[in-house]
Amino acid sequence: MSKQISNNIRKLRFEAGEMSQQTLAEKVGVTRQTIIAIEKDKYSPSLEVAFKISNEFSVALETVFNYK
Amino acid sequence: MDFSYKEKSLIASLGVTLLIFGWYLYGAFSNLSSNPELPGFVEIIILIVWVAVLEIIIQGILASKNKSQLEDERDKLIEKISYRYGYWFLSAGIWFLMVQILLDAWLDHLPVLTTPNAMFHLLLLFFVLAEFTNFVAQLYHHRKGV
Repeated sequence: MSKQISNNIRKLRFEAGEMSQQTLAEKVGVTRQTIIAIEKDKYSPSLEVAFKISNEFSVALETVFNYK
Repeated sequence: MDFSYKEKSLIASLGVTLLIFGWYLYGAFSNLSSNPELPGFVEIIILIVWVAVLEIIIQGILASKNKSQLEDERDKLIEKISYRYGYWFLSAGIWFLMVQILLDAWLDHLPVLTTPNAMFHLLLLFFVLAEFTNFVAQLYHHRKGV
């Protein structure tokens, strides 16, 4: 079975005081639709965007994204 | 249904392209057998200016209503993937026209389809259909993911 990338962005947003998708999108420099697509595992972001997201939550990249 | 800025922009471009070129091509293909001459240069320029002006107005209105990020890496990736579909469609169209020219030479003149007017409008039709394919593919990937 092939491995897939999943993420914990929804959980991290909740822990960051229910940060909205729009707020995260603006901080990372993407559209809200891209955040929605990443959360639903419909889009794998570039390394740059992935690092920006993890920096925003001040956690390691592996905490945001999983490859299983 | 909640449409993003990019989706609205694509729908607008699709609408303008289909409206202007659809109207023009409908008229051109209706008179194809009675008019073997190429359209005038001014006629084509007017057509292109119409599309450009409508696009600028609609895209300007859409952009002014959207204050957040307009485009990002996902949009660019979707564009790249969708342009490939458009490219294949256009290639198929050009191959079709090349076969038409060869058949015309071998079979000693086919009716209507290989007049300069018909060739010009068939080429224009394939350009428009390639654009249509590109827009529809982008809309599909925006909804279903990449």
